[in-house]
Amino acid sequence: MDTEERIQAASRFLLQSPPGEINDVLNDVRNIVSDDDSLQTGILPALREYNLSQFMTADVPGHQHQTIISEAARSPPQEGDEHDGDRFWDPRSRTSFRFDHITLEASDPIPVDPPSESESFRVALENASLTYISGHYHTGVSSIFSSPGNPDEFIIQIVANKYNPSNFWSGRWRSEYTLNVGDRKLAGKILVNVHYYEQGNVQLSTTHDISLVLPPTINPTSAASSASKVFALIEDEESKYQNTLNDAYQEMSEKTFKGLRRALPMTRSKLDWDKVLGYKLGAELTANKGAFGTAS
Amino acid sequence: MGDLVDSMLDLMRRLPPKNVEENVAALVGMCPDYADDLLGSVDQPLKVLTDRATGKEYLACDYNRDGESYRSPWSNEYDPPLDDGTVPSSKLRKLEITANEAFDTYREMYYEGGVSSVFLWDLDDGGFAGVVLLKKSLNPTSPGEPSGSWDSIHVFEAAERGRQAHYKLTSTVMLHMTDRPTVDGAGSGSTSISKEKTEKSEAKRGGEVSLSGSMTRQIEQDWPIQDQNSHITNTGRMIEEMEIKMRNLLQEVYFGKTRDVVFDLRSVDDLEKARRQRELQKELVGFIKR
Repeated sequence: MDTEERIQAASRFLLQSPPGEINDVLNDVRNIVSDDDSLQTGILPALREYNLSQFMTADVPGHQHQTIISEAARSPPQEGDEHDGDRFWDPRSRTSFRFDHITLEASDPIPVDPPSESESFRVALENASLTYISGHYHTGVSSIFSSPGNPDEFIIQIVANKYNPSNFWSGRWRSEYTLNVGDRKLAGKILVNVHYYEQGNVQLSTTHDISLVLPPTINPTSAASSASKVFALIEDEESKYQNTLNDAYQEMSEKTFKGLRRALPMTRSKLDWDKVLGYKLGAELTANKGAFGTAS
Repeated sequence: MGDLVDSMLDLMRRLPPKNVEENVAALVGMCPDYADDLLGSVDQPLKVLTDRATGKEYLACDYNRDGESYRSPWSNEYDPPLDDGTVPSSKLRKLEITANEAFDTYREMYYEGGVSSVFLWDLDDGGFAGVVLLKKSLNPTSPGEPSGSWDSIHVFEAAERGRQAHYKLTSTVMLHMTDRPTVDGAGSGSTSISKEKTEKSEAKRGGEVSLSGSMTRQIEQDWPIQDQNSHITNTGRMIEEMEIKMRNLLQEVYFGKTRDVVFDLRSVDDLEKARRQRELQKELVGFIKR
């Protein structure tokens, strides 16, 4: 493998990192590639892709809350801003910032103006999301973006992480919805990843797509009540999904797990190993004599 | 450079078990000098091959591999054929044949299907070592059915000490399960004929749940021996005990621990309500104390 192929392989490893373990994977990859110079520049695209798709969170400089790094969070280009692709923004504090994909630190805050025509409903959604997050997530972060160029469309993102390396587990819940009040549609997905690695490596990975038509009571002219209705829908869908997951767990435990290996043989007792060998011997004798052998 | 192998093993402990084959292949490509260390330490799903001589299925792994060929436990032949492929001594081969028959019975009792294989090899110090392999797959007959696979790899070393033998057993179970749960709830599909559009209007939902991974455990035990076949009854009992323990452990981790983490990330019940209730309770307690 030449250097470029090694960097590509390293990038594929990084993109598979379990929640909260990107630095551990990066340390392993550094040791394996043992060429820091080419690694440093070569893996940047993979780190960027990982951070954006995994909804990495960043502390907003000068504010007391976190925001989500994602494709939707890319900062709208401002005049006089040399746009290098690594600026993101937090609509809640109207702050754009530079984000370092290796250290995961946000810096260089600049105030930005949001698109005005959709801002009042976006703020209503944001407030409803904060209430929803504190009601159902222990460590949740949400961000609401208005779609550039489409005042009817909003992107709702939620991420919750729990990292517990001392007990060898980590977990991440991501959900993302596109709300279109013009088409009256809410479409989205929920993604859950769990890693358990005490003397092993066990991973849960789930995908779930949702698409539904908005009831007529959701209307941006009554912003506050419509926003809380949107989150009542999301709350209902996400709770329903957890029940579905419970059903899947039960089905896998009752059907798949039991179907793969029994807890005990049909006889409900462990094997008599002396007999296991004896039976085989008996069978051989039977085959040789063409008659029943001695009873064991 | 054990350091490098440690990093490779740490990496394999973190990356999704579903991708173990392609990730091991990538690592071998990156560090070809360490291919043997890696292939010998990372367990990969067992391949099912068919013995050309007997038509019986057997399992392929690193322990019955010689170059690109795999040895069948039934005919003792390599496929593709090898003139000088490594085979056990004739004494050990005799034990291997009996062990394969015994674990075939074990497989039928616990797995009610699947494939098993036992391979033995002589050790330089006079003892011997072996691997007991078991595999079962469930393939869905319809798209809604769950699918899964179980792979057991039990590697052991046996050292005779007079009328006793000392056994060291390392067991790995790889378990994969996939389910495409159907989401119930009002408005999904069948009730689309409803006249008025209520709060619960039509919705589409769907997705996949995948649980996959491997766990490894080790034990060492001494057992009495009468003859060569005692090694089969001894390792048989050890492996049976180990699989029972590991099945319980897998049940706990797969269906207990991973589920707990999900419900720890998101709570179905309103946390805010619970918080208010706790505060109210505190106030009440304070009030009573006064």
